[in-house]
Amino acid sequence: MVRSSALSILGRKSTSPDRVPPVVLFAVLNRRARGLNGKEVSMPQTDLHDVNASEIIDRWEGEPAPFLSILHEIQAHYGYLPEPALHEVSSRLGIPLAELYGTVTFYHFFELEEPGTNPDLWMCESSACCLKDLTTLERQLSSARLDTPHSGRVRRIPCPGRCDIAVPVFVGDRVYASADSGSANDLPLATSALPANIGVEECIFADIRKGIDTLAGYRAVGGYSTLETAAKDPQKILDELKVSGLTGRGGAGFPTGVKWDAVRKETKQPKYIVCNADEGEPGCFKDRCVMDNAPHQMIEGMVLAALVTGAEIGIVYLRFEYPETLASLQKAIDDAVGAGYLGENILGTGHHFKLVIRRGAGAYICGEETSLLNSLEGSHPFPRDKPPFPTTHGLFGRPTVINNVETFATAAMIIRKGGAWFAGLGLGENQGTRVFSVSGDIARPGNYELPIGTPLSTLLNQHAGGAPNGRTIQGVTMAGISGGFVGAADLDVPLDSKSLAALGGMLGAGGIIVHDDTRCMVSAARASMNFLAHESCGKCFPCRIGTTRSTEILDEMRTHAGGGPAVTRDAVSELADLDEVMAEASACGLGLAAPFVTRTLMKYWPDQVEAHLRGECPTGACERSKA
Amino acid sequence: MIRPPMMTIDGVEMTFTPGDTVLEVSKRVGSKVPHLCWDERLDPAGSCRLCIVEVEGRRNPAASCTLPAEEGMIVVTETEKLRRMQVTLLQMVLSENPAEISSRNVDVGKTELQLLAEDFGVTRNRFLGAVSNRSKDDANPLLKRDYDHCIACYRCVRICAEVEADFAITMTGRGFGKEIATPFDRGLLESTCTLCGQCVYTCPTGALADHKMVGQAAKGAPAEKQTITRSICPYCGTGCSIDLHSDGEKVLGVTPALDGPVNEGALCIKGQFGFDFVNSDDRLKKPMIRKDGTLVEVEWAEAIEYTADKLRSIRDEHGPKAFYSIASGRAPGEGGYMLQKFQRAVMGSNFIDNCSRA
Amino acid sequence: MSNSIPEIEDCPFLLCVGTNMTECHPIIAVRVKKALRKGARLFTIDPREIPLAKMAEGHVQLRIGTDTYLFNAMAKVIIDEGLVDQEFLDTRTEGFEELKAHVQKFTLSEAEKITGVPAELIRETAVGYASAERAGIYYTLGVTEHICGVGNVQSLCNLALLTGNLGKRAAGINPLRGQNNIQGAGDVGALPNSYPGFQSVDVPEVQAKFEKAWGVPMDPDKGITKLKALDWAVEGTLKGMWICGENTLVSDPDVHHTRHALESLDFLIVQDMFLTDTAKMADVVLPASAFTEVDGFFTNSDRRVQRLRPAAPSPGEAKPDWWIIAEIAKKIGTTVNFDYSKAEEVFDELCDLSPIYHGLSYARIDKGTLHWPVPTKDHPGTPVLHIGEFPRGLGKLQCVEYQPPAEVPDDEYPWFLTTGRRLATYHTNTMTGRAKGLSVLAPNEWLELHPMDAEELGLKSKEWVKVTSRRGDVLTRVKVTKASPPGTMFMSFAFPEETPTNYITNPEADPITETPELKVAAIRVEKAEAPDLSDFDPMFQTKKRH
Repeated sequence: MVRSSALSILGRKSTSPDRVPPVVLFAVLNRRARGLNGKEVSMPQTDLHDVNASEIIDRWEGEPAPFLSILHEIQAHYGYLPEPALHEVSSRLGIPLAELYGTVTFYHFFELEEPGTNPDLWMCESSACCLKDLTTLERQLSSARLDTPHSGRVRRIPCPGRCDIAVPVFVGDRVYASADSGSANDLPLATSALPANIGVEECIFADIRKGIDTLAGYRAVGGYSTLETAAKDPQKILDELKVSGLTGRGGAGFPTGVKWDAVRKETKQPKYIVCNADEGEPGCFKDRCVMDNAPHQMIEGMVLAALVTGAEIGIVYLRFEYPETLASLQKAIDDAVGAGYLGENILGTGHHFKLVIRRGAGAYICGEETSLLNSLEGSHPFPRDKPPFPTTHGLFGRPTVINNVETFATAAMIIRKGGAWFAGLGLGENQGTRVFSVSGDIARPGNYELPIGTPLSTLLNQHAGGAPNGRTIQGVTMAGISGGFVGAADLDVPLDSKSLAALGGMLGAGGIIVHDDTRCMVSAARASMNFLAHESCGKCFPCRIGTTRSTEILDEMRTHAGGGPAVTRDAVSELADLDEVMAEASACGLGLAAPFVTRTLMKYWPDQVEAHLRGECPTGACERSKA
Repeated sequence: MIRPPMMTIDGVEMTFTPGDTVLEVSKRVGSKVPHLCWDERLDPAGSCRLCIVEVEGRRNPAASCTLPAEEGMIVVTETEKLRRMQVTLLQMVLSENPAEISSRNVDVGKTELQLLAEDFGVTRNRFLGAVSNRSKDDANPLLKRDYDHCIACYRCVRICAEVEADFAITMTGRGFGKEIATPFDRGLLESTCTLCGQCVYTCPTGALADHKMVGQAAKGAPAEKQTITRSICPYCGTGCSIDLHSDGEKVLGVTPALDGPVNEGALCIKGQFGFDFVNSDDRLKKPMIRKDGTLVEVEWAEAIEYTADKLRSIRDEHGPKAFYSIASGRAPGEGGYMLQKFQRAVMGSNFIDNCSRA
Repeated sequence: MSNSIPEIEDCPFLLCVGTNMTECHPIIAVRVKKALRKGARLFTIDPREIPLAKMAEGHVQLRIGTDTYLFNAMAKVIIDEGLVDQEFLDTRTEGFEELKAHVQKFTLSEAEKITGVPAELIRETAVGYASAERAGIYYTLGVTEHICGVGNVQSLCNLALLTGNLGKRAAGINPLRGQNNIQGAGDVGALPNSYPGFQSVDVPEVQAKFEKAWGVPMDPDKGITKLKALDWAVEGTLKGMWICGENTLVSDPDVHHTRHALESLDFLIVQDMFLTDTAKMADVVLPASAFTEVDGFFTNSDRRVQRLRPAAPSPGEAKPDWWIIAEIAKKIGTTVNFDYSKAEEVFDELCDLSPIYHGLSYARIDKGTLHWPVPTKDHPGTPVLHIGEFPRGLGKLQCVEYQPPAEVPDDEYPWFLTTGRRLATYHTNTMTGRAKGLSVLAPNEWLELHPMDAEELGLKSKEWVKVTSRRGDVLTRVKVTKASPPGTMFMSFAFPEETPTNYITNPEADPITETPELKVAAIRVEKAEAPDLSDFDPMFQTKKRH
């Protein structure tokens, strides 16, 4: 198997993207992992082979972007990634061992140690879940009686997209929904809840409560009816998309029709359709809901993109933390193949489209589209420099449409019902609807599809039931967490990109974590910044150092407010300078967005910040957390 | 005639070749754009972001190393805001290491990071917190790995891959915890490293050092007292340029010559570390003549006279074809010229060869 | 080299023959890697699976010593498939029809049988080479160190002539020289058949030129080669020898023969930096300065003349080579001028007499930017040779017959042995062995053999063996590696004290160049007891120097 990747170590040389990178240089007819300058890898490493890995690789021969799947299968076989197996992967896939090793260490869920040493109980610790009493839960979990055996060792993991049932607990592929206190015994298995019907005209959720998780159910509501049109008249699809005003729902907001059109115009083959299902933003769990309950709608959107652009390979990059979705989505794909909507000669149109799932391995940055592409290729998952863009130099350097789950699913419905219909769903100047994931201190956590431009307060109070227990809402996170906060004073802000940007934040991927008036917002900001620091890829200095330093400064404030030593540095000035370089000079969206957290903290809760610097936490949370 | 594309940098109109980066063009203008992760031999990485410039029409500054030059682009490389951010970035970088004093600075010369910090008047006094990376013991005798000084610019990883194609080292982990490592973190000798030393001399800090240069300052030959002499590697026929560092008595070490016309800074283990045979204790220091079966040291006058007498008598008794000269293919060419002139004009025959046949 | 080293990175098709470039010319290999990153195609031809082969699109792993057969078969493919550069053939070459007829018998199926290379790979390599817009051939001693070395080179050159790949940028036929100044040693006239600048000694006008320059009569006859000189020494006709900077005893094939030759001399002068094994046999040992201690020049593989400058004083009383020779010449008593005050004067005289260096001076070679020929003071140098014309006018396509190696395996000596260098050791290790730290990559000699052969012989890595040829035997360790093809084993000659490989190599030489067939010998391999290594210096991994 020879890799056709076209990456250099830190991404593509922007000036001449077609040059052949060293990795490929190594890969050309490479058969064994060995130094190129004559010295063989010394004895323990020479000729290390692994029969099982070899058989696994054999099975993936000829499959698109098999890298992650091969590693997952090896890990499934051994419980970890043994060294000889990595040698086998290195030599067979033509990835230098050092690069492979570095790449493997990047991900949360690839293990290099033998099983038995790693915790097998995973519990979320991110922004929504850390509002719960994690310390107690962790203690209870270690001796919890569950319907599957476990070691009692608990590992805290970053947000696995289960904020609606916080705190989720993973044991292997099983996900349990825990309460935040009380006994952790006999936890129920988590389910993927349908969104509540709130009586607002929906687009992608319009049929979701009609049993469209099956092929028959989806066909019953008119699913897959758009494919023949797309095959005959791809231009019409593009026209409808452009009329609809649909933009990418992952956060960047690029017009979908324009993107598809650009790839359609490229002559290089093969082309790829990639679905970004790496929903790693804390507070976001809508894509999971769509995939679990309307998988065919997303698939239909991908097939549309394929028919329009002439791509014949599609890949769903599914985040590792969605194991149940992996199974159900694969069944949906198999069913669609069986019905002729996927695979060879779709509906007799002469078009082929092979759709496969590739599972991530735990890395927030892989939700960034170019990191995701690198991850699929088996390269170090750093973001690439843009330009060039994926539309011209995407997966393996080929023209690639990359959209997220919601975008594809929305596109399918737009083509069924018309671009003008969708455009008319928005409020004011806005076109269409979006899905928002709401969690945290809220009566009815879940996913809500609303016209773009709906006031935030309407979503929170009218649809999601407001803060529970008679509390008031102090503020919410935006975009998940990377869009910073919106404080109580601005809760009437319309949910559209422009309005949120005007507040100094970001709408992003539409995750909202609610904080009631008992919450320490310095701690909330710290949780967000800590997540970003933890997930920073390490490529660019502003983000790599900036997120860590910002976390440290917020930590110092919390420590002081909890009775610890005073903050000796000029925290406000340092945060401001860190904010500036991160916001202006970072290499990708993670670093560029990180300062929203600290800036909006300063904007809405300067009193809390000042109090912390004085050594007081108004909510007492910092003192409690110290205890 | 097609006009070459033009852009403006700091008010200067410049032509460029499509594919040039803004940083490359700015260097031609003479603009002083700072950088730490850039090396002309490597693909630009856009890591350090120190080379940010303002581009008219763009909201954010852009890293000029990865920014392709475009027709009509108007770029400014020095503004108050850019400088403020560059200062912040340098302060951030300095904050992540214990102190930017390393053996590299004193033994070979100030590091790129040191020079930039001085240039910007930045010291290690802000953003102090956790320090990143950690040193690794490495059993190899040539490359010192002192990652306390690492700033994660990945130049070592990239030069190992992009220039040498050795792929011995990689970057592990994520974010602030990013480290430079060999596969399974075992040390260079168990990796595919060929000990060429390229990583040492692209490193902009003291994280990597050349063991042969380490400690020179302590031995009384700090960088500022060393002379640097351009020379040519004495090994294979490639003819790589090297810079010899000397304390006036001995050659201390070699640094690669970036402007060497053949190698453009690249060297292999022999060129980088193979020079010190010249300092070997067993160098011949005096002529020797075999007396009673044993070689004994003599003065030059005696050796010359003895040899001349012998040669004269061989020539006069046995003719010009009784004596043969073999010139070295490794010594400077003047010696070879002289030997063939001697054999032809003094001994009287073409009985001369060099060691190319074996 | 017909072309310069930096051009390599712009060459779209590289054919690397008998050159373990990443180990022996690592920085030329860096250029090859750059070319690959720019999208070049690389094909390697070598009996061993050298590291470069792993980067290649095709690796032609030929049976050792079958080079000429392979190149003739490739020529036939190029001719048969109409891939010749007809215009180049018509205007720049002669002998095409003869060659065309000659190569008819070198069919792909026969070639597959003789060389052991699949016919399709031979064809693919030939077609790839001939179809490229420009293609460069790069070769080293794997081509020349054979009894048919000249034939190998000629049949290889045919490929370049057939396809018009000479006299243009980023192409050509490029022997990579193994020693830093081996090109320069020939350039300055340290050759039995030519004066400085490759001016033939048997041309009366040239003789006259040197007689005028030096003021004494010149020998009208060509000299003999070094190998023949050693034979003459054994025969007793040669009485004395002056060896400058060569460890002849160790580097030449068949050490017994060389030792006998040197012992037979009445008078041996060795001029060196170290008391080498050869120096230990000398009557006079003269201490030479190192390259770091003198002014001077080296001329590299691509004919680039580059400057050396003193960085440190010589130890003791070591002196520059030119000074020592001049002093002795003067002492002998001669009318010829040997009064020089500095190296630059020597260089200037050389340039004066050598047409190819005529335009050079220390000032002009300061930056190392000039490739000879540089005929005049304002000439820009010649990175690419043979543009428009060859030295002899038309390029001659040569009809070369295949000649098997002088020694092939038989029942008594059933294995092939081939020799070469390794990355961290250079030549006989007199320099690398004294450079601290280099030994970690290659601490000692070892015999590389294929796992199948190891199994047959019952050997494992690190075990000791006795390797015997018709000329002698040596002890060494074993390293099992697939880099060696079955049946062919590999050694370097970098550890002469522990494993003097050239005790067993074959001195049979090419009749024209008299380059010995160091690349092929037939050997027998037997398990052996480990020798007593207590007297070995752990730093040098060789015998302690007392």
